[in-house]
Amino acid sequence: MSNTGVIFRREFAAYFNSPIAYIFIIVFLVLNCGLFMTPFFLAQLADMRDFFGNLPLFLIFFIPAVSMRLWAEDKRSGTFELLMTLPMKSSEVMLGKYLAAMAFYVVALLGTLPIPLMLALLGNPDLGAVFGGYLGALLLGGLYMAVGIFTSGLLRDQISAFILGMLACFALFLVGVPAVSATIDGWVGGLGSFLQNAFGLMPHYQALQRGVLELGDLAYFLGLTAVFLVLNAVWLEGRKY
Amino acid sequence: MIEVRDVTKRFGATVALDGVSFRLDKGEILGFLGPNGAGKSTAMKIVTTFLAPDSGTVSVDGIDVLRDPLEVRGRIGYLPENHPLYVDMMVHEYLQFVGRARGLAGDELRRRLEWVVEACGLGSVYRKPINELSKGFRQRTGLAQALIHDPEVLILDEPTSGLDPLQIIGIRELIQSLARSKTIIFSTHILQEVSPVTDRVVIINAGRIVADGRIGELERAAMGRNRIFVAYRAPAAEAEAALRGLDGLHEVRPVAGREGAARFEVRADFGRDVLAPLGRLGQSRGWDLLELQESPFSLEDTFIALTRQSGGAREVSHV
Repeated sequence: MSNTGVIFRREFAAYFNSPIAYIFIIVFLVLNCGLFMTPFFLAQLADMRDFFGNLPLFLIFFIPAVSMRLWAEDKRSGTFELLMTLPMKSSEVMLGKYLAAMAFYVVALLGTLPIPLMLALLGNPDLGAVFGGYLGALLLGGLYMAVGIFTSGLLRDQISAFILGMLACFALFLVGVPAVSATIDGWVGGLGSFLQNAFGLMPHYQALQRGVLELGDLAYFLGLTAVFLVLNAVWLEGRKY
Repeated sequence: MIEVRDVTKRFGATVALDGVSFRLDKGEILGFLGPNGAGKSTAMKIVTTFLAPDSGTVSVDGIDVLRDPLEVRGRIGYLPENHPLYVDMMVHEYLQFVGRARGLAGDELRRRLEWVVEACGLGSVYRKPINELSKGFRQRTGLAQALIHDPEVLILDEPTSGLDPLQIIGIRELIQSLARSKTIIFSTHILQEVSPVTDRVVIINAGRIVADGRIGELERAAMGRNRIFVAYRAPAAEAEAALRGLDGLHEVRPVAGREGAARFEVRADFGRDVLAPLGRLGQSRGWDLLELQESPFSLEDTFIALTRQSGGAREVSHV
């Protein structure tokens, strides 16, 4: 098994070694499906736009809660030293942890599949938009998770890592909201628009949600995810000095 | 096998290691001694590549820790000071995980698992969750983790801390049984733990090496002279005068003894036989000899003497 695979296996199992995983998944499904189903019965539209529309805000809380333990727990318990003296690159350890957390998120996301199945039975949903929505949810979660694993590495304490991760994700979310960028533009001309274009995630996410697959949007999510993972790897190496 | 040369490490304004050098040949066991906070753990973390030195070089089996850390890590089994255990796992899951992470698989992994479970006495807890284990079993699980890949070098940071006397003996015997085939550094601040396992020690204080050598040599260097206790059934003043007249004795100090005995602590140069003259003195005066013994300095005495004179430590080092 590859080095990353060994770490992945242990980290993924770690989520399910405690009841927290099940609680997380239940909360994720109950809140998301609950938030979706209430207006669904009123609007009577066979699409998932509301569901995916809620995700960027909801995941700001959910993803950092999943990622907070990734490094902070190891640093607290002493296993960090074990991991960092294994004969493998620290980036391999990090990738294993990241992928395990993502796999956990995917499990939670898979739990929402009954919704599109139900829609397909009841009506005639735009499957392209549903697919784009799930892809967007995956990419968005991947970006938040990369922010989360990075902030988890900076701190020893899981709760602090959670709060810092949440703030960082919230900042990425906010700069993409037109009202916020307009306000910042009012303080410093052009800054708000610049931040919105460079970092704001909403425009990219909304494009995917409509089922429009464009290279730019994919590049935004994958690129920014890579930036945070590289920052994490740099921090892991720099910590030695 | 392990060579540490002139290593310095700072954490902010604190100097954790200041020009530390020592070397260890293949198959040697080194007791790494020093008060808490002296820099033992920092030095070990640098050898295991967990930390990088600010300056100086460290090599394991000829491989530089900065140039090829993965190669170095593959050769080292490391037990950090805080149990490096995943308490949510069972003992066997944990050991399998570390084994796989160290590149073992299949039959080889199974053989090594059997060996460490046997060697570390983990058979009775093999399928128990780690968070239900006693401190002794946790420590042994940590040790098993360090041994799983049959490393050439073992680095053990305070392997016996917090254990009861029986458990300490168990760990000590385990280290001794590994001695022939492995190069081992273990740290401790408890002196009695060193001498049963090895006589090679490095003493570190406030980030500097204060002594490096065999325990016996260090005692001589630190204390300067041998110490002998002698007691006669004789009038104290008379006996003291007689002793002061004897050749080769540097200090004569009356110390408490049993009723009717004149008891003294005397110092003599190492290698000079003063026991025979002391015995003859009693005979010639008609005093019964009640006690006559060379009393080696305890490691504690040596340790305190060496760490106190840290300033003048440079002369003592590398005996």
